[in-house]
Amino acid sequence: MAEPVVKLSNVWKIFGDRADEAMAAVKSEGLTKPEVLERFGCVVGVQDASFEVPRGEIFCIMGLSGSGKSTLVRHVNRLIEPTSGTIEILGNDISAMNARALRKVRAQQIGMVFQHMALMPHRSVRDNVAYPLEIRNVPKSKRWAVSDHVLGLVDLTGYEDRLPKELSGGMQQRVGIARALASDPEILLMDEPFSALDPLIRLQLQDQFKALVAQLRKTTLFITHDLDEAIRIGHRIAIMKDGIIVQIGTAEEIVMNPADDYVREFVQGISKLKLVKAHSIMGPLDKAPGPLGDAPRADEGADLDQLIDLSAETALPVVITQNGVDVGYVDKTRLLRGIQGGKQE
Amino acid sequence: MTDDTAATAVPGGPLTEGPVVTAASDIEVDRAALDASIATFVEHNAGYYRKSFHRIHESTSSFPNTFNLWAAVAGPFWAAMRGVWGMFWTFLILEIMAWVQIGRGLWGNPGASLMEQAERQRARADEFLERAEAARSAGQDPERFEKLATNIGRAADRSIEKATVLNSEALNIMLIGLGLLALFKLFQGLYANKIYEKQYSKWRIDPTSVESGFSRRRAGIGAALVAAIAPLTVYKFTVASPWEALNSFPEKPISHGILGVDDETLFTRLATWLEAKIDAAAVAGADVFDGVTAGVRSVLDALTLALNGTPWPVVMIVICVTAWRAAGPRVAIFTAAALAYIALLGYWEIAMETVALVGAAVLICIIIGIPLGIWFGKSRRAYNAAEPVLDLMQTLPAFVYLIPIIAFFGTGNPPGILATIIFGMPPVIRLTALGMRGVPENIKEAATAFGASRGQVLRDVEIPLALPSIMAGVNQTILMCLSMVVIISLIGGGGLGKTILESLQYAAKGPGLLGGFAILFVAMVMDRIVQGAFRQSGER
Repeated sequence: MAEPVVKLSNVWKIFGDRADEAMAAVKSEGLTKPEVLERFGCVVGVQDASFEVPRGEIFCIMGLSGSGKSTLVRHVNRLIEPTSGTIEILGNDISAMNARALRKVRAQQIGMVFQHMALMPHRSVRDNVAYPLEIRNVPKSKRWAVSDHVLGLVDLTGYEDRLPKELSGGMQQRVGIARALASDPEILLMDEPFSALDPLIRLQLQDQFKALVAQLRKTTLFITHDLDEAIRIGHRIAIMKDGIIVQIGTAEEIVMNPADDYVREFVQGISKLKLVKAHSIMGPLDKAPGPLGDAPRADEGADLDQLIDLSAETALPVVITQNGVDVGYVDKTRLLRGIQGGKQE
Repeated sequence: MTDDTAATAVPGGPLTEGPVVTAASDIEVDRAALDASIATFVEHNAGYYRKSFHRIHESTSSFPNTFNLWAAVAGPFWAAMRGVWGMFWTFLILEIMAWVQIGRGLWGNPGASLMEQAERQRARADEFLERAEAARSAGQDPERFEKLATNIGRAADRSIEKATVLNSEALNIMLIGLGLLALFKLFQGLYANKIYEKQYSKWRIDPTSVESGFSRRRAGIGAALVAAIAPLTVYKFTVASPWEALNSFPEKPISHGILGVDDETLFTRLATWLEAKIDAAAVAGADVFDGVTAGVRSVLDALTLALNGTPWPVVMIVICVTAWRAAGPRVAIFTAAALAYIALLGYWEIAMETVALVGAAVLICIIIGIPLGIWFGKSRRAYNAAEPVLDLMQTLPAFVYLIPIIAFFGTGNPPGILATIIFGMPPVIRLTALGMRGVPENIKEAATAFGASRGQVLRDVEIPLALPSIMAGVNQTILMCLSMVVIISLIGGGGLGKTILESLQYAAKGPGLLGGFAILFVAMVMDRIVQGAFRQSGER
């Protein structure tokens, strides 16, 4: 694989006046979070986070409030300084940059969208979107052209001269996305962008956003507290709890093999129909009952929904194929267990 | 705790487990936890207070339904012991009042002065009788002396009569005192538990800082306070001629004791010392002070030139048009009328001088105050350090700082402007700082995330978003500066304030009132125009 766009290695963040002492103690003695709080009065925000995000991937960071996901993502553009660890953007160590270089990276390579929009209320929609360019002293004619273009991408043509407060919440967040896209950055940081919106608008925006990112091939770090949203949007998902990344994997991996009880509890309520693919529930061919000549065939990438459709037509199990070759079978028992989330017999 | 409480909606669980609570009236009060907590709170005599608190909790009327005998008997001592300090002070004062009455009745001797008078009159009557005797034995006519003696004797009788009436009232006073005492005791007995229960409720919210339990140390403090306050007070109020040192603070003997010199007091020594220091500072910093004065004067001169040097019709037209543009036609008409009043009564020139004075002060306030406010808005520590100074600038009566201003800057218009600045600057600083702190953190963060430097964040986000607050501060500052117009004329400031001061000195009612209206109109016009302008910028 090519060089990752974002790479975090062993990033720690400890909040408090004695963060450095606490960090040293953690490294030498391996203190736990409550011990650090007790001995140094410091709060561990992020604990030993490492991951890589390749170009064009949507990487979701999922966790409840207070789990450190917003803190973690703010390390990527160094709105928060790490206590220890390195953060690389396109191979450059961002923690080693001086203020000027850092501002340049922020302005050109990273776009950010915030939960509460954070639009400037005194500027028109167009000037809000153009602000990242204005910071870089792009001339006004160019700024306006760019901002009209990105506003078009998020379907807001015709609203350029309005003030943010005249727009609905969903539209405001689209302005926020347009602003993040304005400087054509390599990376998008989405800090719970859709959490404050009502469910229907959220669904629309999720789809719109997914299509947009696929079209523009932006590398995205997407924060959410909603597992459904993470599954819907993310190529891979990292689950955070109390500052620790508990598990990283695709939606299917996480749903089928939760790393611990915490993750298991999370994925319990998730519908597996579209998520779980045939290859993860199939049994080996040699264990299959009877002749399967007439049995329906499905690709290993078929999801449970499709398997149910096939299985409903026949009493036979469904044979799973890989590149046209039979590799396994799914009978009714396996199908039902799969819907339950791969519960072991 | 119990099955009843567990039945409240277990998510996903069956709802049939345990009885379902349907109405508030079905809910049983759980006493055990409450009793344990009351016992922790009261520490001593828990049984009694548990019962009392229960009765208070059961009670549906606001009338007290418990009586605390200990609180009634021990009074403030009980309150101190239990840490109910509000009750301690209230009833300490009330009980002392009752005790003063009792003391006056018992040994106060209210007829004492009349009795003394009667004694003297008696003595004089006796004296006259003696002289009458002497006159008689000398063969003279004693009648004159005898008459005098009987008259004075009668006066003495009247005095004694009055004294006995007063003395018989002493019994009444004592009875009133006893009645009051009994009443206060009754109140304490009735309300002690209610008040104590309130304290218990507060303690449940904040057990670390609300006093609880039963403490001998607190009882000791209470007793010491009572011992220090009650006997002296009762003594001073009941004895006819109390000890002199209690009447007024013995300032002279104490300063003599400290200084060891007879012809000086602490006051005179400190005053001379301060005076010498101020004089020395004025001499040492003469260049700086002169520089400040010159700077202020140049601003004032520029404004005066603009307002009084420009032909008056131009100035009038500009003011009226400004009022129209900023605040609409109604204010413009009012402005024209006010200007006509000022001009027709011959106040034009000094009114413009006043405007120049206030304008210079406001200008300097804004130039210094807004950057300071921005700084204080960003740095909590700087603001905390400056806060007391700002408070001082606003609360110190102007007359107090006029004195050092005269010492350092002399008299005239520039020192007047400096005094105005001291009084007028705090609002613009405070409201700028407030506005800066009110800028949402996430918008600042967003700007930073898009690569804005700190200067760009300040220029593009913080100042625009704080602007309404800053403008409110400027408006406040203008009004504060206007209110100083008359005061600065005390140290030689000119303008309309001076005409008012002169009218005041000669009790000239007519000119004083006319000048007062001129100031009022200047103030109203400035206020209307500025407010109109801010309202427009706020709407935008």
